[in-house]
Amino acid sequence: MTTDKIIRVSIWIYLGIFFAYLLGPLIIMSATAFNSPSFPRMTPWECLTFNWFGELFRDERILNGIWNSILVGFGTVILSVSMGLAGALMLTQIWPKLRATYYTIIIAPILIPGVVLGISTLVFWDRINRMLGLGADSVLSNGLFLTIIGQSTFIASYCMLVLVARLQRYDIALTEAALDLGATHAQAFRKVLMPFMMPAILSAAVLAFLASFENYNTTTFTFGEYPTLTIELAQKVRYGITPAISALAFMIVALTVFFALINEANIKRKKMIAEARKDATVGELAGKIEVPGLISRNPAAIALIVLVIGVATVTASAMTYSPDQCIADVQEQKRLETEKRIQELRDRRAKEAAEKAAAEGAEGGATQTAPKPSNNSGFGGVFAPNTLQNEGTDDGASDEGADDGAAGSSNNSGFGNVFDPNALGNDNN
Amino acid sequence: MSAGVGVDLENLWIRFGDFVAVRDANVHIKGGDFFSFLGPSGCGKTTILRAVSGFLEPSEGNVLIGGNNMKGIGPNKRPTALIFQNLALFPLMKIWENITFSMEIKGASARERRKRADELLDMIALPGQGDKLPSELSGGQRQRVAIARALCAEPDVLLLDEPLSALDLKLRQHMRTELREIQQRVGITFIYITHDQGEALTMSDDIAVMRAGVIDQIADGKTIYNDPSTAFAASFVGENNVFRGKVLDVRGDQALIRTNRSGDLLSRISTANQGKMNVGDDAMMFIRPEALSLAPTGSQGDHFVTAKVNHEEFEGNVFNIFMEGDGGKELKVSIPNHGQSFEDHSGQDMTLEYDVNNAVAVPAGELAAE
Amino acid sequence: MPGFLKEFFNRNGTLMGSLMLGLVLFWTVGLIILPQLSMLDFSFRPNLPPPEIGGPKDVYTLENYKYLIYGPEGGSQDYNAVDLRVFFRTLVAAVCVTIFNLILCYPIAYYLGQNKGNHIRVFALMLIIPYWINEILRAFALRIIFGESGVLNTLLVGSGIFDTPFDFIRNDIALYAGLGYAYILLMIFPIYNVIESLDHNQIEAARDLGAPWWRIHKRVVIPYAKPGISSGCTMVFMLSAGALAAPQILGGPSSLWFTQLIYQQFNDNSDWPQGAAYAIVLLVTCILLVLALMRVFKVNMGDIGK
Repeated sequence: MTTDKIIRVSIWIYLGIFFAYLLGPLIIMSATAFNSPSFPRMTPWECLTFNWFGELFRDERILNGIWNSILVGFGTVILSVSMGLAGALMLTQIWPKLRATYYTIIIAPILIPGVVLGISTLVFWDRINRMLGLGADSVLSNGLFLTIIGQSTFIASYCMLVLVARLQRYDIALTEAALDLGATHAQAFRKVLMPFMMPAILSAAVLAFLASFENYNTTTFTFGEYPTLTIELAQKVRYGITPAISALAFMIVALTVFFALINEANIKRKKMIAEARKDATVGELAGKIEVPGLISRNPAAIALIVLVIGVATVTASAMTYSPDQCIADVQEQKRLETEKRIQELRDRRAKEAAEKAAAEGAEGGATQTAPKPSNNSGFGGVFAPNTLQNEGTDDGASDEGADDGAAGSSNNSGFGNVFDPNALGNDNN
Repeated sequence: MSAGVGVDLENLWIRFGDFVAVRDANVHIKGGDFFSFLGPSGCGKTTILRAVSGFLEPSEGNVLIGGNNMKGIGPNKRPTALIFQNLALFPLMKIWENITFSMEIKGASARERRKRADELLDMIALPGQGDKLPSELSGGQRQRVAIARALCAEPDVLLLDEPLSALDLKLRQHMRTELREIQQRVGITFIYITHDQGEALTMSDDIAVMRAGVIDQIADGKTIYNDPSTAFAASFVGENNVFRGKVLDVRGDQALIRTNRSGDLLSRISTANQGKMNVGDDAMMFIRPEALSLAPTGSQGDHFVTAKVNHEEFEGNVFNIFMEGDGGKELKVSIPNHGQSFEDHSGQDMTLEYDVNNAVAVPAGELAAE
Repeated sequence: MPGFLKEFFNRNGTLMGSLMLGLVLFWTVGLIILPQLSMLDFSFRPNLPPPEIGGPKDVYTLENYKYLIYGPEGGSQDYNAVDLRVFFRTLVAAVCVTIFNLILCYPIAYYLGQNKGNHIRVFALMLIIPYWINEILRAFALRIIFGESGVLNTLLVGSGIFDTPFDFIRNDIALYAGLGYAYILLMIFPIYNVIESLDHNQIEAARDLGAPWWRIHKRVVIPYAKPGISSGCTMVFMLSAGALAAPQILGGPSSLWFTQLIYQQFNDNSDWPQGAAYAIVLLVTCILLVLALMRVFKVNMGDIGK
């Protein structure tokens, strides 16, 4: 019995580690969106701030990227769901000898590295474009077109897999029954097959949109004039990260959780309706079915409501709460600390210089080196506080524009860092 | 009752690659008939139905409905409605929507459809069930909904592909009567596919017995049962005892057959084969279990059979005696139970007697699988 | 085979049939086959400015492939040591990531597959949610954690395990963690799908016969889950070998991923044929490796994507 207990405990420990690995990064990233330092981090926690969200919404490139992502996403959803559906239907009725080859072809894009897909799309359509004698600004070399085409190549395979799973449970006799009752092929497709496939089509569409939204490897070769959100994010992340990105991530996480919970609640609701229908009398069926307590017995719905209330609270407090005071306090504290340290440093330098001078004087050597260190330390003393200040106030750039400029130059000079005992925290560049 | 629309199959061949599913079928189905295709699974009867409904193009030959050639006309343009083996009710539509699907296609208003659905639901004795989903009905109810859906399309010919096979025995027997009643009420031609001879015999005006793509015999139920034209028809429809042998003598419409084990036996030649069986031909003779009766032991003659009893069983209305038969198959005799005493004869020889008119001789041929 | 086509149109109707056939042909031929062939063709051509393409200089050449092996002509080294090392390092690292993921994911897939109940749905949801977050953002999250002043370093230094912050990024630990993180779901789901269909009675029976837990897995579960395992491994391997975002964001300054070389050829050097050649090398190598593994473990293509 004790070994059983050990196994049980170790399973839970394993699950704990696993989900910590899986969810931890997202939670930490989300949390950094609310911390004031301009480098996204959780520790030390300085001030609760919502300014990074404002920063995010002022970023033209991000907003433009979101718009492009939505454009590409819609195009990809339409193209890849229809290709996936056609591919899935074809799979069910293709000549048996061809089936294995056909399946390999349509499943291959999942396994081909995204980079390769991007390149092949780019190269191929470039060639088509040249063969047709079109210029560099034609539709075929348009970033939007290329990105949709490139992404759809493999996203259609995902859609196909989702759709085929549902299609396997479809009874072809249903289509035949519709035809037999006088429907045209298009009517049979629209009135019988489509409603049956609808849940799978919706999941395929959601999957396609998400896959398109987060695709980087393929898009990075094809985006042209239409950088998607992912491309913009990658540029930002590669060349310096700010909590504004965390803010975006937090919103995406929140939205994802929100929709996941809605979905869960819906599934649960449908189950309950189906159960209620089973016991319903004829009279009840003719009228509306009362679902007994949508909220009760539906944990997902409860979680959803909690989430909505949470978001509402946060938004409300964001409207009223101002972190300026706290940020100013932290800055003040830091400034004092730094000044203290600089003072110590200066004292020590002065002492050293004095000792050195004394020693040199004693040896009767040249005195030309003496001014340099003092000069140097003076330089650092002037600029170092600004450097530190800059760290905490990127969000408040508008109020302290003048200081910012100075801080920027001080950063470049590098002197501030040399003497900055807090250099550890100053890696925002 | 209207005359209804007849269906003709002319020299119909259907091939799938090298496989011949239907071989030169020629059938005339009278308008307003309840016509059954009876045969074991894989004999091509469903293929014929799919050719009539338009899901299959015949490789050769023609399908005529009401005298019109259906070549090149799709299933949605033919005056037929098919009831599928698994019914194929649309799972996501309510019952009334299912029933009136053919009207929806033609653009009928919801109110019209609703009204028609209610009428049909009354007809199939499911009043007020229109708002349920197919999954919420029982098997028999679904069955009736499928019929109503097909009838709603107002077809000239209703095609039924083993629609009762999924039901349990009781329901199946009940539905037989019901189907027959519906057919007589609406008066249209029914073409029914089944492997169950009981269904075919109880419901049909005429039956076509099929074997491996070939139609063996077309006749009404009584004729098929009493006067089969092939060995297959004789052995597939109802229980039958077979005696193999050679024709020893032909006397008018009777033949004396030298059987492998039971001596020389006299038999009527089936109507279709009269004048076609010659002395020396391989022949088969069939006698139904209920056509045999007990005779004094040791009786000799051309309508007596003597064999050893293997075992006996009591079935209630009949005693069944199983005796050593021909070709590894047991010889079965059913004696009606009139309350007479009955002793066990296992292991003994027993002599049986039959009326020559109840024995039927056909040319030797393939027997139906057990 | 016009008979086949005729039957196809009979079954689907002319309009729906042509639509379906058109879409499938566009996808398979226009998006999958032709672009790959086009890239293959392109990789054998010299890098020319657009006006000269199709001109007399546009001849087939092995130059681009030679470059990967021997480096620039007249270079100081006999072999293109830098690129080759990156290439092999990428493959080896991708294999390591795959193995790491398999070890990490097999237990959870087994647990999810063989247990029922509400908490399993919650776990499944928790698994899927991270997958819906942008790839870049997931890498970004790990960078926050593994950064020099990140959570992990703060924790380690704060608790006194390390004296000075450890550079996870320079040591590629962040990269491997990020690659593993990115494709967890693709490893779990195929295995989960297979294990879910394994009759729990089989495990009970094995336990009943006295088999210890590891033997149950070795003799019952793993053989049964083999298609799922190979499917998951194939996907994780191909995707991590072909990953670009994670190496760009989490990779150390000195260590490159092979896809980054391809990216450089395209975007920095504007040498498309060279990039195409590298892409072909990556694609062919990965496919050969996967095919070899499939042969070894005796699974077919049909199992992929289940």
